[in-house]
Amino acid sequence: MVDLAQGLRRWQVRMPAGIWTVLLMIVALSLVGIYTSDEFSRVRNLSNICEQTVAVSIGALGQTLIILTGGIDLSIGSLVSLLSVLTSGLINQDPARVVPVCLGVIATGAAVGAINGLLIARLRIHPMIVTLGSGAVLQGAALLYSLTPTGGVPPEFENVAYGRVYGIPILAVITALAYVGVALFLKRVYAGRLIFAIGDNPHSADLVGLPYTRTIVLAYSASGLCGALAAIYLVSRFGVGQPYAGENLMLSSITPVILGGTLLTGGRGGVMGTLLACYLLAILNNILNFLDVSTYVQLIAQGLIVIGAVSAQFSKESR
Amino acid sequence: MMAKGLPSKNSIVPPPVWTLVKGNLIYVAALALVAVSTAIEPSFLSTSNIANILSQIAPLGVVVIGQSFVLLARGLDLSIASTMAAAAVVLTVFPRSSGYTVPVIFVSILIGLATGLVNGVLVAKRKVSPFLATLATMIVLQGLRFYWTQGAATGEVPALFRTLGAGNIFGVPINFIILMAIGAVFWVVLHRSSYGRRVFMVGGSPEAARLVGIGVDRVIISTYMISGGLAAVAGVLLAGYVGTIDGYLGRGFELQSIVAAVIGGVALTGGQGSLPHALTGAAILVIVSNAVLLFGIPVQFQIVLSGLIVIAVAAFQRTKAS
Repeated sequence: MVDLAQGLRRWQVRMPAGIWTVLLMIVALSLVGIYTSDEFSRVRNLSNICEQTVAVSIGALGQTLIILTGGIDLSIGSLVSLLSVLTSGLINQDPARVVPVCLGVIATGAAVGAINGLLIARLRIHPMIVTLGSGAVLQGAALLYSLTPTGGVPPEFENVAYGRVYGIPILAVITALAYVGVALFLKRVYAGRLIFAIGDNPHSADLVGLPYTRTIVLAYSASGLCGALAAIYLVSRFGVGQPYAGENLMLSSITPVILGGTLLTGGRGGVMGTLLACYLLAILNNILNFLDVSTYVQLIAQGLIVIGAVSAQFSKESR
Repeated sequence: MMAKGLPSKNSIVPPPVWTLVKGNLIYVAALALVAVSTAIEPSFLSTSNIANILSQIAPLGVVVIGQSFVLLARGLDLSIASTMAAAAVVLTVFPRSSGYTVPVIFVSILIGLATGLVNGVLVAKRKVSPFLATLATMIVLQGLRFYWTQGAATGEVPALFRTLGAGNIFGVPINFIILMAIGAVFWVVLHRSSYGRRVFMVGGSPEAARLVGIGVDRVIISTYMISGGLAAVAGVLLAGYVGTIDGYLGRGFELQSIVAAVIGGVALTGGQGSLPHALTGAAILVIVSNAVLLFGIPVQFQIVLSGLIVIAVAAFQRTKAS
């Protein structure tokens, strides 16, 4: 018995507190879903849920890394908007251009992230202000490039978003694997540990001589990279890039991070909580759809869930 | 820790001119902006354009005052735009002829205060991060608003609020006069009252403030209520200025108000800043967008430019502080 209790306690130490709350809520919501709708537990619906989380969970992955460093990325939505019009505008139905344009877009995303990181680390401006500013620049650039949905992609490109093996959406699986990879990176790799160290206490990390700038730039370019991938995904899903494609992503990428138990002050949390929280929010919306609840009430419910989950977590952690 | 000018005020030697300029760089920047804009486009200084700018500053300025209080106490209010829209939507509840136009503004302000109360309690008592607490109330308020109006807010803005939002007295926009009045009141509250000192102390070090016996929770809750109440007022003013009401009224004001305050030197980490400077920050934002429109540059470019200015000013502020 003692061993079990000890083991449980150790397990609990390893798992951030938020994960338990989120897991519990996922189970509870799923039970509600099963009882209120026959459709909910069908494979087709579950696959839909997985597919719907892809864009948000890719965006939230980069966002988690940044929030772990104690920063925040408010520019990701605008970055996705810009890169999505660029992707479809430059490909413009030509299959031969798909690969080079995608590579270029990914590189651009990482570069934009690196610039954000450099501004934050070198000039020591608050991340919120830097990314708010760069977000405006990127959104303006997207609108300068095109005011309307533009270009297009070859039909095969849409398989990227809708590809399924035995009914399982491949991209959702790949995204989950990416989360596991990043989780291992954060746990086992020196550069990953640095993110926690710097997020926990930037000042003392600096004093001990840890590479502050390099780590910050790494985190923000990772987020830029995720933004690029999300943009490509959205283009393949809708078949066209829109200058406001990422508008909602700014906030919807932050919510699951915090729901998943990563503290906005940095240094505490992890990516797996984020992934679970993405699914929690997707399941919630799915059930509300089945219940025929209007989108307005869905908004209210989402807000209340956020308040509930977060105030439960925080009251546990304070003092 | 308090106002930057304090030590020099107490010393006998007058401060060098540079420190005076340094403390007021924001005004220099604003004047330079006006000078440059006038040089490029002389009609910038025309009476009609100035009146235009002043009446555009008003709604943002009112919101910036509230946001500054919250920021100074180490908070953040993202629910501002949602509150503005909710307050504006309430305006159209009663038919024009019913004579309920005056009481209705109290209902609007009450909604703002209530939103602020919820934010404040979540942040102070439940220890929810300000970002998330105000984000959540923003979403809930948006949902309620859309549920109530079924997605399409309709109805007319009562004539009284049209006058308040878009009218003028001897050429001075009434909404700007209202902003100045509100600004004066809250300047006294923040910079000349013991309550204001407590706000600064809580922002400077909540722990120290607690130890000195300050009711930290109450101060935090009150800042959010100020922000919520003022957001409601700003919503009414903006609805009066625009003349129509839609569910997204005030969109972007939450971030713009933060930017304006930060440009004006209000520290995001709390405890440092001044109301006049923050309001000048709001003026700079409005002047930039007005000038860009006047120059005939595409509107999209205006967004790019305002982003660059935000980064540049913040970088400048940083180097000044360190």
